Amino acid sequence: MNILEINNLTVRFGGLTAVNAVNLSLPPHQITSLIGPNGAGKTTVFNAITGIHEPVAGRIVFNGAEARRPFRSTTAIALTFIAIIAGVSLALAANIQSLWETAVTAHYQYRQAFPWRDVCASVVAYFADNPVARFVWPFLVGALLGGGAAFVVWQRSRRAPEIAARAGVARTFQNIRLFNQMTALDNVLLGMDRQLRSRFWHDALRLPLFWRERREAAQRAMDGLRFIGLAKEAHQLAENLSYGHQRRLEIARALAMDPQLLLLDEPAAGMNPAETRALMELIRKIREHGVTILLIEHDMRVVMGISERIAVLDHGEKIAEGTPKEVCYDARVIEAYLGKSHEDVPTT
Amino acid sequence: MNRLHRLRFHWTFLAVIALIPLVETVFPHQRHLGELLRPIFIMAILGLGLNILTGFTGILNLGVAAFMAVGAYSYAILTCDIYPFQLGFWGATGLTILIGLTVGLLLGLPTIRLRGDYLAIVTLGFGEIVQDVLKNLDTITKGTQGINPLPAPTFFGYQFRPDRYQPWYYLFLAFVALIVLLNRNLQRSRVGRAWISIREDELASACVGINTMKMKLIAFSLGAAQCSLAGALWTSFLGSSGEPGNYDFQISVMAVCIVIVGGMGNIGGVLLGALVVSGFNSIVLENLTNFLKAHELISTTSVLTVPGNWKYLLFGLALILMMRFRPEGLLPSRQTKAELHPASERDSPA
Repeated sequence: MNILEINNLTVRFGGLTAVNAVNLSLPPHQITSLIGPNGAGKTTVFNAITGIHEPVAGRIVFNGAEARRPFRSTTAIALTFIAIIAGVSLALAANIQSLWETAVTAHYQYRQAFPWRDVCASVVAYFADNPVARFVWPFLVGALLGGGAAFVVWQRSRRAPEIAARAGVARTFQNIRLFNQMTALDNVLLGMDRQLRSRFWHDALRLPLFWRERREAAQRAMDGLRFIGLAKEAHQLAENLSYGHQRRLEIARALAMDPQLLLLDEPAAGMNPAETRALMELIRKIREHGVTILLIEHDMRVVMGISERIAVLDHGEKIAEGTPKEVCYDARVIEAYLGKSHEDVPTT
Repeated sequence: MNRLHRLRFHWTFLAVIALIPLVETVFPHQRHLGELLRPIFIMAILGLGLNILTGFTGILNLGVAAFMAVGAYSYAILTCDIYPFQLGFWGATGLTILIGLTVGLLLGLPTIRLRGDYLAIVTLGFGEIVQDVLKNLDTITKGTQGINPLPAPTFFGYQFRPDRYQPWYYLFLAFVALIVLLNRNLQRSRVGRAWISIREDELASACVGINTMKMKLIAFSLGAAQCSLAGALWTSFLGSSGEPGNYDFQISVMAVCIVIVGGMGNIGGVLLGALVVSGFNSIVLENLTNFLKAHELISTTSVLTVPGNWKYLLFGLALILMMRFRPEGLLPSRQTKAELHPASERDSPA
């Protein structure tokens, strides 16, 4: 079974179709490259997979499930609950002054014992007096507004980056996006965040779980840095690292998420040949750990050297797919990169 | 490595502040410095609450005064004997914090998805709305009169009195220390790491699997709760909720000033900022005005000659100068980061 299955993916920005009906499937434990000229829509495909862009059409199935928030019974219950709370709150707020007068001011004598039991009865009596105007209308308006707004928010947040991340997709960015003012170690620890179990109160009160987890997480983060070859730089701020190290740190952060699929967006950009060779070695090593890799890269030595399969995008459409050799000699690929030979251009 | 270097600024600062009343008992003065410092504690709590939002998470909140007002009025309604609740100081303070937390959550739920400036405008509007609601809801809040008198707090049977300032001083100091401890614990843990990552790069933060909305909401309501605590403490000390107009935009701006001048995202910096900004406001300017008046150097009829009336102009000037020459604040947080991982630690593999 394929780990990632993209069917008929279309992404539009206003009138511009960035990706048009692209199909792509990734077999597990392989290195697949996505290539194409600038502006072909490669990064847009990445952004759609990681939930940054909402596709206009098409399905992205990761590990047999679409990577978006499912509609569960708890969702329905939560939405109803929010609607009811909003309705009751609006009904109370609309009548707050008169309610306070009938329920509190009318019963309270200065420094006398307060009859708490009468409060509920007088609130009910107040609403029962003129239920439609005092309760039903404000409740309906509040419930519709609150429930509707909650539903819209839920609908729009169904496909979010953190959901793809939780499902096991990790990525790096074309222009490095590290947490610059944090140490390399903290960057990796953030990658691990979703595996940590300590909650707000453990952290605030420094309960035993916090200490245990801090020790273990730091240990694992150091292991991750060692794997990537950045153990010495663990306590340096990310922005002070060299360019090549920053690229590696971004990969380390993604790997700390323990992903099944790793998306690398031009990892070799701006690297010298020696660094590039080391990077290829690293990518192979990551694959050996059972991670499927999808790679965007312009450096053909990298692409041809390590990928098992290559897909070529041009103007938002997939024009070729296959082994490196097949793609290399594909007429449409050559045309996309080099243009047509003038003999083939029909004269007008 | 120098051991003193490791001593955290905020603890040192609080320890020095704690000694002031003792020094003043030994060397009695006519006017107590400690007495003047009390509003600074309130502003420090307000600044620490805002620091969670602006300093750690990178959300600009221009309406902290509204949360302070919510805290102040909740505390007043819960304790004053013209209402049936009449809780003690501790019960009312605890409940006020919960109310602040809820109000922050309710405001945050629909608005936290807004980006940067838009959310700042929402909080700015909320600040104005709260004032107007408090002014017009006069059956409950007594309108512009404010709610008073409030009973003074008691502590294990000890009654706080307005004429003895030391108990108040240590009560406020204890609350400041508690909040410093809480915020520091959160800052150096999973929660704080997630907050700072949102400030650094929200998209990258979401892409590593952090639920950014949830973390921002936690920051928002926790900040609101701390601001409402500041309101409750100030109300308990004044013995009155004051009028709604006291919790106006200028308080919010002062809180923002404290965080920016002190150093965003650094707890020690916020304490220093509170001392500098609030101290300048309530000690320097006030004494200067009194001094000038006593020596008849200024006429009391012209408002322009009173230094106290220039304070917001001076705050604005201070902010512009800070932005030009030291945008990271007096005590920036990067320094804290460097202290966290000193050079000796960096050399040895962990």
